[in-house]
Amino acid sequence: MATDAEIFEAYGDWKSRGNANPRLVRMLRGWDRSVHLVASDTGSEFTLEVRACVLGDLVSGRQGPADLIVTASSEDFADLFWGDLNPSVKYQNGEIVLAGSSEDVMRLDALSMVAFLDQ
Amino acid sequence: MMTTQRSPIDPGPVDVIVVGAGYAGLTCARALVDAGRSVVVLEARDRVGGRVFTETLPSGVPVDQGGQWVGPGQEHFASLIDETGCTTFPTWVAGEALELRDGLLHRYEGLVPTSDKDGSADTVATLLELDLLAQEVSPVEPWSHPDADRLDRQTFAQWIDATVETPIARALVTTACQAVFGAEPEELSMLFVLSYAHSGGSMSSLIRTSGGAQERRIHQGAQAPALALAGMLGRRVVLSSPVVDIDHGRSGATVSVAGAHPRQFHAGRVVVAAPPSVTGRIGFSPALPGDRMQLIQRTPMGSVTKIHAVYERPFWREMGLNGQLVADRGALRSVFDDSPDDAGVGILVGFVAGSEDRRMEGLGVEGRRSHLLGELASAFGPDAAHPLEFVEQRWSSEAFSGGGPVAGMGPGVLTAVGPALRRPVGVVHWAGTETAEAWSGYIDGAISSGIRAADEVLAALVAPAGTGGS
Repeated sequence: MATDAEIFEAYGDWKSRGNANPRLVRMLRGWDRSVHLVASDTGSEFTLEVRACVLGDLVSGRQGPADLIVTASSEDFADLFWGDLNPSVKYQNGEIVLAGSSEDVMRLDALSMVAFLDQ
Repeated sequence: MMTTQRSPIDPGPVDVIVVGAGYAGLTCARALVDAGRSVVVLEARDRVGGRVFTETLPSGVPVDQGGQWVGPGQEHFASLIDETGCTTFPTWVAGEALELRDGLLHRYEGLVPTSDKDGSADTVATLLELDLLAQEVSPVEPWSHPDADRLDRQTFAQWIDATVETPIARALVTTACQAVFGAEPEELSMLFVLSYAHSGGSMSSLIRTSGGAQERRIHQGAQAPALALAGMLGRRVVLSSPVVDIDHGRSGATVSVAGAHPRQFHAGRVVVAAPPSVTGRIGFSPALPGDRMQLIQRTPMGSVTKIHAVYERPFWREMGLNGQLVADRGALRSVFDDSPDDAGVGILVGFVAGSEDRRMEGLGVEGRRSHLLGELASAFGPDAAHPLEFVEQRWSSEAFSGGGPVAGMGPGVLTAVGPALRRPVGVVHWAGTETAEAWSGYIDGAISSGIRAADEVLAALVAPAGTGGS
């Protein structure tokens, strides 16, 4: 299990690396979305917004309507943002579940993979 | 084993003649029979299944020499598998995959090799870009895309050169192209690649095992549902009867077959269920329209050889490997675990595709065998060099396929003559996976194309059953 504070810290790290990665920025082109994160074990919920090719801050709770909902264990969220787990393997095993349009799922899958590889 | 009659029969004139007993032709014929129409299926080979062929090796092990997988979203194939009493099991994925790059082996998990972070990230970004572009291109009418002319003027290779930043990602995308199309990126139009990818969902879904086109296999072999369909059609399926001429007019067609029993068949309508270039072997009278003739000549088959190496057991699983290999050079660029569900023996299936396949022609059967086993051994260890059995299936030298797995289009073909792919010519209709609106190039697409052609014919045969000569 990971605490909310740990998830915030890991996300902050992921966000600054992501926003500094030109390849990731290019992949965000034309993709302004609200993403909700749901930690299946702790019940914690978060919202992050992508606007104009920039990953925004993580905020507590589910803010407004979601384009995309990601469900995973709190530890998987922390590991994902720290770059300690290969997200495509987790999606494949159904341990991380993405709900959204096929394009949104495709984008987030690729974004998280690129962020993972950017370690 | 074959349930169809091989003795010459003369059923008299029928409503519809179907040319080709692959999945497209058999499905079409079955739909027509279900609708009360009289049908004859003329097949050039001495077997049904077309590019799907399950061969039992001397040891008694069945292997799929052609199309073999079924994946999510392939509902036509899935329901036919069910209906014919066949069953499926997941392709073996447990363990790590191998990447052979610059002569070095790396292990990885997931869709994309991860040994070089930058190259891998570039590969993921490239796949995403391809997937997003593909979503915009209609798999049914790709020429209707607002940017169709520009996309169709470009080869896939030109797009790769302009978009992909790292040599590693370029090599991986090229390997994926060879595996999917049996063709090199420079041989294919970008519009064609995008339309083809969208027809199967996305490029990512075409190359995935779990969650993609390679997800499951059929216990009984991928040809079993075709054999069951042929069994239902019984004497209507006439084997070893290559069609050489089709004389067609407003009231019907006369179809001439060669082979051991040359003769003529008569019908109100004809469905030709074969790859475009293979339909070029048939003499049409009157000649086909110019756009159809051009399409036939400008839609070549891919080049692919499938090899199977059979071992006492799937020894790579004991090393924590799942049998998958992706290589940046050499003849064998993609390999999968193809062992039976009970793992009674271990089987690796490998693909030699595109220019590598053409390069291997001169080596001969024995030369290819030792070369390919050497490549397998360099990835899976010395045990891989000594299989109990080894077979190759060279689709390029199959007279009635001319290559595989699918036909591809170079620049300028789709936008110029694409609509001729499905458009009937008088009483002649077209089926086959190349004409499919979804999963083009796959067994599922072959099946849906057969159903679509049957619907066309039934709509055209508006008069009560029995017209058209019978």
